[in-house]
Amino acid sequence: MQSTRARTTVYYLILWLVAILFFLPVFWILMASFKTPNDILAVPPKFIFQPTLSNILDMLSRPNTVPYFINSLYLSITSVSLAIVVSFLAAYALSRYKFRATNFLMFLILSTRMVPAAAFVVPIFQMFNAFQWRNQFGVLMLYTMFSIPFSLWILKGFIDGVSTRYDETGFVNGASRLHVMFRVVLPQVRPGLIAAFIFNLIFVWNEFLLNFILGGPGTQMIPYALAVGLVSAGGNIDWAFVASLSTGYVLLPTIMIFLFQKYLLVGMTFGTVRGEV
Amino acid sequence: MSTANIAQQGEQGIARSRRSPLRAFEESRLFPLALLLPILLFFVALNVIPTIWMIGMSFYSYSLMSPAPPSFIAIDNYVKIYNDADLWSAFSRTFVFVVLAVGIETVLGVLLGFLFWGSANMPGRRVALTLLFVPMVVTPVASGLFWRLIYEPTFGVANYFVQLLTGSKIDFLTNVNWAFGAVLFVDIWMWTPFMILMTLAALGSVPKAELEAAEVDRLSIWQRLWHVIWPHGKFILMLGVLLRTIDAYKTTDLVFLMTNGGPGNITELIGLKLYRYAFASLNIGFSSALAVILLLIAISFTSIYLWVLNLRRYREGA
Repeated sequence: MQSTRARTTVYYLILWLVAILFFLPVFWILMASFKTPNDILAVPPKFIFQPTLSNILDMLSRPNTVPYFINSLYLSITSVSLAIVVSFLAAYALSRYKFRATNFLMFLILSTRMVPAAAFVVPIFQMFNAFQWRNQFGVLMLYTMFSIPFSLWILKGFIDGVSTRYDETGFVNGASRLHVMFRVVLPQVRPGLIAAFIFNLIFVWNEFLLNFILGGPGTQMIPYALAVGLVSAGGNIDWAFVASLSTGYVLLPTIMIFLFQKYLLVGMTFGTVRGEV
Repeated sequence: MSTANIAQQGEQGIARSRRSPLRAFEESRLFPLALLLPILLFFVALNVIPTIWMIGMSFYSYSLMSPAPPSFIAIDNYVKIYNDADLWSAFSRTFVFVVLAVGIETVLGVLLGFLFWGSANMPGRRVALTLLFVPMVVTPVASGLFWRLIYEPTFGVANYFVQLLTGSKIDFLTNVNWAFGAVLFVDIWMWTPFMILMTLAALGSVPKAELEAAEVDRLSIWQRLWHVIWPHGKFILMLGVLLRTIDAYKTTDLVFLMTNGGPGNITELIGLKLYRYAFASLNIGFSSALAVILLLIAISFTSIYLWVLNLRRYREGA
């Protein structure tokens, strides 16, 4: 008895060690954001140091930090919400009415997410220039499109899992189609809605290339700020700023995967694999 | 006909007799199309039209750098791509990157996934898994940057340990021998957790009863792997490998931030190359042709992915 307990303890310690090893690079940056610039550049690297909040205060006091954070939040929340509404309507239709082109349409829409961003950004760039859409509206629409494939796939999967008997019971009781959609089916696909929301939020939150190429002052997000605003006066990278900004930015996805861990699998596989880990 | 059916028809009759215009619309054939309309609008405006435009442009000679108007040159852009040794080497570099990254991630992920299989009762499991899965949700721009800090030749922490071990320092990201491996290492760090996740899911898809039967029958580890776990788990594992393949082939942000393709073009993957043609040299015609080729590659990957997915549905009846 004693020895099996000792063995499980060692086993759990090994698992913890693996998890901590993967986290270590992030932890190093987390520490750097509490170091003075001199401590960051110290040779040999300082593992024990006097923590300071000055980097974080400096980051927050720079003129663009807060607006960029707001852009990140606004663009990701709005576009993902819009994508989910649009996808829910379509997912219900594709699940309940048997169109002949359903599978083909699902395939086409999924394949748009498999293309390197650089490939479709060329025509989008020209189109947005021509229509003068390189503003908040244009980027918002683009991110909505970016979030649709995944939302559609996950929601259709979940709605397929809701038996049509629920719909029929509703109709028998005199309910309208819209009532059935929003009051009967919608509550049952809540896990799908949450997974679609959280993971699209993370994807849009992290997106860089489209934002970099198409964005203007009203749409630039923190990844843009990280990539562009990282050079300090001396021509060297301002590591204190980079460390505190990336630590602040990584906080949201980290909290999300802690809180919504059971949706992680569905979230990382476009809703094609179900289950919990 | 059962009484329930008759009752249902009767009720529907009643519902129909007092229908409002909204009800009439809901029951008409237009309703499902109306539900699909918003998504189709998005799809047509932001995917179909740009794609057609892109395919069209790929047959033109058109550069924003030159004042000449676009002129039709048929398949000359594609011929140019075919003859461009630089592009071929970018493709083969991307191929090597994808094979190495996905291969190593799969092996490591499967081994660690098996290790984590029995962790259901681990204290603080949720925190440990969050730490483990953080690398894959970190903004690629941020991870690209902070790995630069770690790799930094003078004060980077990686070099501190390298110096302890070997006595000299290595400038990983500008050294011709190390840059590719250094970028590959970051990709492996980011995405091995994903393969762990997929392995756990694959193991979770094996029916408990069959595992217990194998236990009772005292099958050896290898027999269990081959006869019990593999037949059920292989689909999810394959889906994981395919998703990683598609994603690794798209890698752009990471190399853009870490090395910008350098030193020379050692780390110039195809996504970055395309970006260069389109936005550094502003050669719209040529880059459109290249984009069409990347699109076709993406579509073929997606077809394989869905083929495996359907195979699984068919076999497992799920």
